[in-house]
This record gives sequence, structure tokens and C-alpha cells, in this order.
Amino acid sequence: MEMNDKDTLTIVEHIKNFARRHSLFVLAYGTGCGAIEVPPTMTSRYDAERFGIVGRATPRQADVLLITGYLSVKTLKRVIRTYEQMQNPKYVIGFGSCTINGGMYWDSYNTIKVLDQYMPVDVYINGCMPRPESVISGFIKLQQLIKAGKADGWKKYQENLDWYRTNQKKVIKNWNMPDYNW
Amino acid sequence: MSDNIQNLQKSLSERLPQCSVKIRKHGGVELNSSKENLVGVLAHLREHFGYRHLSHISCVDWLEQNQFELVYILWNYESRIQLFVKVRLARENGSGISIRHLWPQADTYEREIAEMYGLPFDGNENPRELILEDWDAMPPMRRDFDTRAYSKEAFYDRPGREDAKDVRSVISGRSGEEIPEIAIPYTRK
Amino acid sequence: METLKTISGYFATIGVAFTVGFLFMGFSRILTARVQNRVGPPIYQNLLDIIKLWSKESAINHGLMQHLGPAFAVTASVTTLLFIPVLRIGNWFQNFSFEGDLIFLLYIMVFGQLGMALGAGQTGNPNSAIGVSRGLSQVVGYEIPFVLALTALMVYHETTSLHEIMAAQDSIGAWNIFVNPFAFVAAIIAFLGMTHYTPFDVPFAPAELASGPPSEFGGKYLGMMMTSGSIFAFAKLTLFVNLFLGGASNLLELLAKTLALYLIPVIIGIVTPRYRTEQAIVFFWKWPTAFGILSILWVVWMR
Repeated sequence: MEMNDKDTLTIVEHIKNFARRHSLFVLAYGTGCGAIEVPPTMTSRYDAERFGIVGRATPRQADVLLITGYLSVKTLKRVIRTYEQMQNPKYVIGFGSCTINGGMYWDSYNTIKVLDQYMPVDVYINGCMPRPESVISGFIKLQQLIKAGKADGWKKYQENLDWYRTNQKKVIKNWNMPDYNW
Repeated sequence: MSDNIQNLQKSLSERLPQCSVKIRKHGGVELNSSKENLVGVLAHLREHFGYRHLSHISCVDWLEQNQFELVYILWNYESRIQLFVKVRLARENGSGISIRHLWPQADTYEREIAEMYGLPFDGNENPRELILEDWDAMPPMRRDFDTRAYSKEAFYDRPGREDAKDVRSVISGRSGEEIPEIAIPYTRK
Repeated sequence: METLKTISGYFATIGVAFTVGFLFMGFSRILTARVQNRVGPPIYQNLLDIIKLWSKESAINHGLMQHLGPAFAVTASVTTLLFIPVLRIGNWFQNFSFEGDLIFLLYIMVFGQLGMALGAGQTGNPNSAIGVSRGLSQVVGYEIPFVLALTALMVYHETTSLHEIMAAQDSIGAWNIFVNPFAFVAAIIAFLGMTHYTPFDVPFAPAELASGPPSEFGGKYLGMMMTSGSIFAFAKLTLFVNLFLGGASNLLELLAKTLALYLIPVIIGIVTPRYRTEQAIVFFWKWPTAFGILSILWVVWMR
């Protein structure tokens, strides 16, 4: 973020920041059971659109990647590829205990347990699964983080790319993905 | 209905004397075949007994007897009686026989069993992986595969999980709140 | 001094068009939300989206045309806008309208879509290619009734100039919507196809095509497209107001008339499901085309 000489944000950054936190495009990609919690969040009863949260169908247009539940190794590969296609700044929200510590799949042979070893996660929402209220509170938390300039998972990912790659390649044996030079 | 089953058992034992036929306690008829006769038996059931539908092929791992058991579940639309055709195979270096020419959907079940149990099927050399991707350890549905050890080795653990205390007792210990009576039977001691 | 005034006039036009465009889109989002029993976003939500998209990094490169496609769209919208007289009288907001006429507008309005088609084609995304083919098929569908309706107007007023059409409506004392209702019906149904609201949103069908042609465009490119969309929406609405509602003599009148026109596709869009491409083309070639032919017959009979 650009700072002026008084070490505060410039006015342009303020406007950008305001627009960023009030216009969150969510990638419509669902894994696990949390994908069923997203439609009620978006539709009449909970209406996430009043916070500027709308769904987008392609990673190129999206800002927020929701990891809605357990990730099998096979899905992780696709999710990493999707995440790397998104444009900066981008944020990740992990849903439910499966992304935090494995949840009920803690001894499964094919699902990862700790998501932030493979991808930078800005906000975790606990619960199994979180209800739409919790989902919206997670989005509010993300907005607060963006306002404070702390939602910088994408920067961490670029800086510690080698560490993330090592972890990713540990579980994804056949790494045949393109390298993105963003 | 029971008449039907008994008639079926009788005619099956007459027509297929090499197989043992018995009536299952919870409905349906069970038929034990040998590996050599299997394809012939299934084709016969399909042509002459009206078992035109293959519901599923399942695999049971009899670790103690060092055998795999394949169960072919068939369904007859007219008599509405389920038929289980069972065949025992060697666990190490054994192989099943593909029945893709009888029921094309068997291909999927056979690929799944080959992948999950490591039991190849002669005549079904479909090389593509079905569910797993780049799997190089022991086939995961075998009973001697230790999924917990594998997951501990392959994936990261988040620290703080080991004590595994009950959530309610932790909360009540922290805030002095009483556990409601309805929850006591489900609380870990 | 005169040049400066003209140039500032251009920028004022673009500014007004952009503001009105995104406010209308925000309004349509609120209206949709209210119909679905939701609260809906604030009315300036589209402005926030555009600012955010412009502030995003864009590190995608699929070749030259991919960068030029959105630029083509913006160029086409701005050109279309500048060749349409925004107000009937006065010196402001006239821009190039004396040089161009309806025939030129018919050409330039497709230009942006063709540019987008080229740009989307270069990205190599299969969804884009499908979306482009659907979108261009739909253009083939709605251009016929649209041209028929415009021909009826041009024949009736014996001119292709927008100014003279507006002046003629003023002197007759009746808007073209009453003089030739068939032409209006044909043109407004073609307008539904142009706006890409349901039932004619199959080129962008988000659920099945991953947003169609722009699926590979994010960040600044999408921001450019949304900007161009706001301007183009206003330009089209102004054109329709000029053609059928007698133009406007001040901005408030223009706002009221454009909003009234804009509500037609929005309200129809809220309550209808989506046509497939072939259904849409059959529809366009059946009903609005029939109305278009009827409008020409009506003109012949009237004269």
C-alpha cells in the first residue's frame, strides 16, 4: 500500500481500499459440504449482495476463493491451479473444521488436514458446517482485515512460494501444472 | 413370495449343479461359484433366469483367509428377487475375470476394485485411474492398510488436537456453566 | 476557446453517460433484489465494482488482440455516444451528431461486439468461443427487426438524420411511438436482445458458460468492459429516446424517458427464464420481424 509522508494512507488508497472491501467477487467453486451453505447466504434470506458479495464464474474475475470443506489431494491440485489464476489482490476463506484441522476426516488417507500449509488463508470460519450467519460474519471479518491492510495472504504466497511449493509437491506427486509468472 | 424364492432355489440348483445355492435370511438368494464357472453362470442367469440388471460389484477383503470375495449383485425385474453371486479369489497375485461383454457398466466397478483393492481383472486393462490420482502406496481399501498412519505421515497435523477433550466439559470447566442434563450421556468422561 | 468548449462538451457527455449508466445498473440490481425479497446492494455498487476492478493487478497475456478487445469495446461505446445527439436543443451534448446519421450508427454499434469477439477468441478459452458464437448469432437475430424498424422511420420522415427525425416529431406533435407503434414494438424487442438481459442472456449465461466471452478477462479488462457497458447502455437508451420518444430538451427529461425505457428490459428480464440460442433467433425472426414488416406496410399506407 502506498503511504504518504505522514505515514498514513493516501486518499487514492483509501478509495481503492473502500471499493475493495465493499465489492467482493466470490468464485463459485465448491468442495465438500460447505458448497450447500453458499446458496442460502446469497439468496433472499441472508442476502450477501447487500455487502457487495456476488458470485463470479471464473477465477480471472474473482477476488475471494472459498474453500468450502474438506479437500482431497486430487481437488487440492485443482484448487491451487485456480488460486494461481486469480488476479491480485486475492483472498482465501477456509470453511469449517475440515480446513482447520481435518475435522471428521482427520485420519483419512486422501484429504489434507491443515489448509494453510498449502495456501495462504486469510479467514477461517469454524463450524461443521458454518451456518450462513457465520459465513457472513467471516466476510465481515475479511472486510475488517482489508480495511486494516492485513489481508495480505497473496503477498505471503508470493514471498514464500518455495515453502508452499515444497508442501504442495509433498502431497501432489505428479506435478504437471503450468507456472504462472504473476 | 417365499414360494417364488424356493422355486428359484430349486431350479437354480438343478440347472447349476456346480454352484451351492441358499436362501439368505434377509431376502434374496445367494449363489457361490468358482472362478472358472463365473462368467458362464452369470451369462446363464442373464439369459435364462431374467437377471438382466447388474446392480453392483462389491469386494470383501477376507484378510484372515487370505482371500478376496467378489459379490455380483443382480436384479430380476419380473420376480423382484435379488441374487448375490459370490466368488472367492486369491488375495496375493489373484485376478478376477472381466464381465464387460455382459454388462458394460461393470467396467466402472472393476476399475474401482482394481484401484482400491489392487485386484486386477483379466480382460479389463483400462489403464485410467478412476478415483485416486497418482497413488503409489498400498491400495487403500485393503484391510492391512493403516489409514491413520498413512495420513499422519503424509499430511500435516495442527498442534493442539492430541488431547481431544470434550468440548462441553472444557467450556463448563472454563466458565462454570453446568452441563445440561440432556447432554450428560453424550459427554466424554 | 470554441475548441476547448467542444472538447469539454465531449468529456461532459461521457461523464454523464457513465454516471447515468452505472446508476441505472445499480437501480436494476436493487429492483431485482426487491422482487426476490432481498435488500440488495447500494445504488453505487457498480461504481465500487469498477473502481475495484481498475485497482486490481492484471497479469494475463494471451496475445495482442486480448488487450485490444476491451479497448475496442470502450472505443465503440464512446464513438456511438458521441455520434448521438443527447439533447434535442442547445449547444451542449451535441458532439458529432451533425456528421453522422442512423446508417453510420447501425455500423458502429456492432463494432464493439466484433472487437470483443476477436479479443475473446484470442484467449483460447472454449467458453469464450462458445459465448462469442452465441452472441454473434443473436446479433444476426435482432439486427433484422431493428433495421426494419429504423427503415420504417427513415422512410416515413424521409431522412437519416437523428436531428431531423426529432424535429419532425416535434412539428407533427406526436412521438414516433404513437405514429408508428409497430416499429416501436419491433425495435424494443430488438433492444431486449441488445441489452443481454434475460431471456436473451445466453451468450453470457453465467451458470453454464462461466460468463461467456469475458471469462478470461479479469481486473482492468473487466473494469474496461463494465465502463463501456455503462456508457453503451446510456447511448442506446438515448438513441431510442431520440427515435421514438421525441428526444429530450433537458437532462431531467432525458433521465425520466431513459429510465422509463430501461425499465422495460429490466422488468421483463426479472420474470423470464432464458432462451436458448436457436429459440432466440427463431423468436427474433418471427414476432419482431413480423412487426417490422408491418411497420413498413403501415408507413406505406400512411403516406
